[in-house]
Amino acid sequence: MLTVPTTCPFCACGCGFYLLANKGELVGVAPSETHPVSRGRLCARGWGAHEAPLWGTRLREPLVKRNGRLEPVSWAEALDHVTGRIKGLIEAGKSVGVLGSPRATNEENYLAGKLARAGLETNDVDFSYHSICRPLLAGLEEVTGEYGCSISLDDIELSETIVLIEGDLAKTHPRAAFSVMKAVEKGARLAAIGYARTQMARLSSLYLQTVPGGEGEVINGLLAGVLHASLEDRTSATAHCEGYEALRRDLTAVKATKEMHRAAEWIARAERATFLIPPTSAQGDQLRKDAAAFVTLAAITGHLGRPGSGLLMLLGRSNVRGACDMGVAPDRLPGYQPFYDGRAQQRLQGLWGKKLPSAQGLDAESLLQSVSGLIVLADDPPSVLPMRQQALAAMERMEYIVVLDAFVTPTVRAAHVALPIASFAETEGTLTSMEGRVQRVRAITDPPGEARTGWQVLAELCARFEVSASYSSATDVLREIAQAAPRYAGIGQQMLEEGWGGTLDEDFDTGKRVLHAAGVTAQTSPERPHLLAWDGVFDWGRDPLISFSPTLSRDYQSQRKLFPHGFVEMCPQDADELGMRPGWQVKLTSLRGAAVVPIQVRTDLTPGVLLVPYAFREHVAKVLGVERLTAVKAERA
Amino acid sequence: MQPIVYTIEKPDIAKWLERLLETAEVIAPVAGYSGEVVFSAISSPAQVLWDFENPLHPAKQFVLPQTDPIVAIKRNGQRHEVEPIYDDSRRVLFNVRSCDVKGIAFLTRMQEMEPADGSYLRRAYSLTVISLTCNTPCPLGFCVCTDSGPFLNGDYDIQLTDLGGKYLAEVGSEKGEAAVSNAANLFRTATEGEVSLRKRLETAARNRFGQETCHFASAMRRISTGRVQDALWEKISDWCLECGGCSLICPTCYCFSVRDRARDGNWIRYRIWDSCQYTAFTLEASGHNPHEQRKDRIKRRFFHKVSAQYYMRDGTVGCVGCGRCIKVCLGTADMPAVVAAIRKGKWHE
Amino acid sequence: MNDVFLPHVARIVEVWDDTPDTKTFTLSLRDSKDFRFLPGQFLEVSVFGYGEAPFCIASSPTRPDTLQATVRRTGQLTDALHELGNGDEVGIRGPFGNGFDVEGARGKDLLFVGGGIGLPPLRSFIWNVLYERDHFGKVTILYGARTPTDLVYKDELKAWAKRSDVEFHVTVDRAEPGWTGNVGMVPVLFEKTALRPDSTLAYVCGPPIMIKFVVQDLFVRGFKDEAVISTLERMMQCGIGKCNHCAIGHRYVCRDGPVFNYKQIRELVE
Repeated sequence: MLTVPTTCPFCACGCGFYLLANKGELVGVAPSETHPVSRGRLCARGWGAHEAPLWGTRLREPLVKRNGRLEPVSWAEALDHVTGRIKGLIEAGKSVGVLGSPRATNEENYLAGKLARAGLETNDVDFSYHSICRPLLAGLEEVTGEYGCSISLDDIELSETIVLIEGDLAKTHPRAAFSVMKAVEKGARLAAIGYARTQMARLSSLYLQTVPGGEGEVINGLLAGVLHASLEDRTSATAHCEGYEALRRDLTAVKATKEMHRAAEWIARAERATFLIPPTSAQGDQLRKDAAAFVTLAAITGHLGRPGSGLLMLLGRSNVRGACDMGVAPDRLPGYQPFYDGRAQQRLQGLWGKKLPSAQGLDAESLLQSVSGLIVLADDPPSVLPMRQQALAAMERMEYIVVLDAFVTPTVRAAHVALPIASFAETEGTLTSMEGRVQRVRAITDPPGEARTGWQVLAELCARFEVSASYSSATDVLREIAQAAPRYAGIGQQMLEEGWGGTLDEDFDTGKRVLHAAGVTAQTSPERPHLLAWDGVFDWGRDPLISFSPTLSRDYQSQRKLFPHGFVEMCPQDADELGMRPGWQVKLTSLRGAAVVPIQVRTDLTPGVLLVPYAFREHVAKVLGVERLTAVKAERA
Repeated sequence: MQPIVYTIEKPDIAKWLERLLETAEVIAPVAGYSGEVVFSAISSPAQVLWDFENPLHPAKQFVLPQTDPIVAIKRNGQRHEVEPIYDDSRRVLFNVRSCDVKGIAFLTRMQEMEPADGSYLRRAYSLTVISLTCNTPCPLGFCVCTDSGPFLNGDYDIQLTDLGGKYLAEVGSEKGEAAVSNAANLFRTATEGEVSLRKRLETAARNRFGQETCHFASAMRRISTGRVQDALWEKISDWCLECGGCSLICPTCYCFSVRDRARDGNWIRYRIWDSCQYTAFTLEASGHNPHEQRKDRIKRRFFHKVSAQYYMRDGTVGCVGCGRCIKVCLGTADMPAVVAAIRKGKWHE
Repeated sequence: MNDVFLPHVARIVEVWDDTPDTKTFTLSLRDSKDFRFLPGQFLEVSVFGYGEAPFCIASSPTRPDTLQATVRRTGQLTDALHELGNGDEVGIRGPFGNGFDVEGARGKDLLFVGGGIGLPPLRSFIWNVLYERDHFGKVTILYGARTPTDLVYKDELKAWAKRSDVEFHVTVDRAEPGWTGNVGMVPVLFEKTALRPDSTLAYVCGPPIMIKFVVQDLFVRGFKDEAVISTLERMMQCGIGKCNHCAIGHRYVCRDGPVFNYKQIRELVE
């Protein structure tokens, strides 16, 4: 029996455990008491992590599409095909983009970025999930100039007050939910802002009920609660913050409810308070403002930069942080430096020996619409991007798509060439958790069939595009990353070899804060009294084992089978008012269009809110249009 | 069989282990990555730990692996041949703690119930269990409440007790006798003094548990007669994050599912660990799920563990007091906490 | 010690469509012929590469040379099974479960009430009874489905309707063009027949909601708990009471059931 310590590839909490293998085959997961994040406690996904590589539908050999069918070829043939066709596109003056992935390691993402900027000479590089979390990071950056986090999960446990923007933390980030639970058990006050009486809301001391997209309004109410009662930390608010007077002005008219006043008091009086925010279903710009206001709330109450107090962005995939740090973004270089930052450019040009492209690139959504060729590293735009059909159609139109993935995804099916790479259980590399921990994944078995490790394939591609990329191990790549992204220089090799990983330095103590209130948008109207939104829990949500499909799936296939027409969820009162039972068809009409879908009844939902699971968003695509949430009229079909 | 009691001097243990290594794979607690104690096959006696806290991952993995091949399905065109897959290679589980010994014995009794599961039993019958008693109980253990430690009266093949310069070796089975006779020159019959020292050590160890123990009996009365309010289960369910860790880690849990996996053009059918705490555990093909709500699943788990109905069938509660669920629970719904809640009819108040 | 998980290989010798999503498979054991079972017992059917799922035996034990299973497409495994045809092989383990007490039913009047895809286990029993017709009293069969399309064994239903030694009624929840028969849920059929609760054993199989209404009705009409017999549907994986998927209290549907009378059902602790 082989036992290898590794890092969980699912959410961004960054738990660790041992993978077990027997006779070259994965057989299980064993918890580790010494891992600093999980300490022996894993969620269902962690316990089943070995099932993804074992039972997922794997890519086993290089495939090239001929006559509409993906057919096996040799690696040499596949790589020649890729090099020839991509170079052909570039010579013809057509653009080629690159997608990295929060499922891939830092090393893979770094090389994907290097391939794009140094090899293809473009800034058209991004990852699909970025479109969901970018506004969140932007909001934080707007206030603090930083985009990381200022606390660890353990700090949550010691908090006196926790403010949580609730999607469904228990399902999306069980490890973080555990910290919240432990804090509540010890007597902490939890204020949960959300639109469903979820498990965390039930554990809360105060459930601030709102609707999807209404989070900003509550945050403003909390800000008003602080300011109206003069609860702000004067020193922080005046000495370290810009925009304090403007903020006061903006919020004079805002009324805080009694509950908001109470929560404001808890926040202000707490020695240690933590603020947790996931990507919500608010529109991009709205989400950015909500996030900025949320950070502002932490800043004016003195909780930013205070040890044990602060903010955590709840990122949905294991390596979102790493993909950003590696510069898998159209406007950022490794280290998350702006692409126009002279020093960062110089550093990279020295390192890569190539001049960097000067024009800002396109984000994942726009990139799909405009490039002729695409190199995809373990990303899956149709599953991740809000506009599934548009992504599929865009890929359909594209002249050439190359996908490197361990699993057969919809993107692989649409590809012209598919290159099989190792899953997390078969490769070496690092992942960066939302806490900023850089931790290793390690190979315990060989990749299946002809599959190779992702960093090797990307290095080979780099070389074919005249970019120096001679690495003898993933660690070599990490060494180069330390030069490209200075923050990673602190991740000592020794730490990676002997401990469970290193932690990035975050600098929240000194930065200047720029304060912001949230914007508020009115949504419903008498003609369209219901609000339709995606479930804040992206992917599958309901069953922890079927989240993050297709890379971890026990039953998601059968779920699709059970609900071939998808569904929207509504509360029992709404169902009664419409005279409907579970499974009956509801007609939803917005300003954009209409759709008919079955309903499911969900007792914890706020009246007036209709939720559609992310995976079923295509069934209401006509109603939502380009929006993420919209007012609708609901009637029995 | 009547236990035969030997002693072996500490310096001779290494020689004995070398003997054992000649004929079997020897698995023992060793220092793993970053100093963590894990069960692992050893290649040298020096690897074996003697002063250690029980590994978090239970020893049941050596009789009931997390992913266990049970049937090979070979195809030749339309024609299929099926063959059972056995693992009856000889193994010695060395220095396991009493709770794990009880756990393995429990699982074996379950699989011996007719119709007996040959795949499990072949592996279990090929395993020699050599345990080490707990002179000092572990901090979270409550084996005294479940009659599964710190010292045992049976269920082991050999039970070792640290007597200072030597170990007392109580032989409890023919497999145990064989493991001793393999190196007979290293053992001598124990003296009465040595046996009574073991008794004193046991008493001392038991006394270290103190007063705070897990009150299974009164919880059993309530749960067996349906006197636990639904509202209580519902409350408990809010403090569970449905990780399934409690059942995966439990030495007496054996819920499983069966799945096929393609390998080299054929298929292997595997038995895999499953947990009654997962929503999909009782999901039927029709979409109907009798235990859709978490409170029903938690109730189910504790009924199986603590009810008189199961106690009558199995002769014991489904718990060996190892305390692992306290360490892995991603929530606060571990065995002692829930047993206390059932007994008091209250949760977190 | 047994190889409890080792399936027997069986060949599909006939397949017919019952409804657009339901097929009946006739299986013949490839390597051994001795396979005895009771109506109400079930098989674990392996679709190689997809795993196993439980299906009740739909054919009569008086014809043990072949076995029939009626299967609705509900997931990956049943999808794969539906792709198989004559000559293809599957695995079977079993028979599992207690089955109906055929001996205890001799001399009694029998009332069979089936709903939708719940008819197969009753069909096994019904054919058993019809092959040994003289040993039983009055036989009444009531069957309902959502629509006429959803009725299974359509030809056999016609044959039963024609028999003089069986009283047969069928109904659908929603009629379709061309349907001239009864419309309404199964309990409407109770109005069509004279029930003798004291001498009759009632066997009820179907979706949970249908069972609920039918059983309520039977009790109102004077049936005793012991005389109302049903099969419980649970996720059964191993078939031998070991995997724990189908446990209800300390009973296992796969071993102690799936056939229970209502006295027993009331004693089950969920």
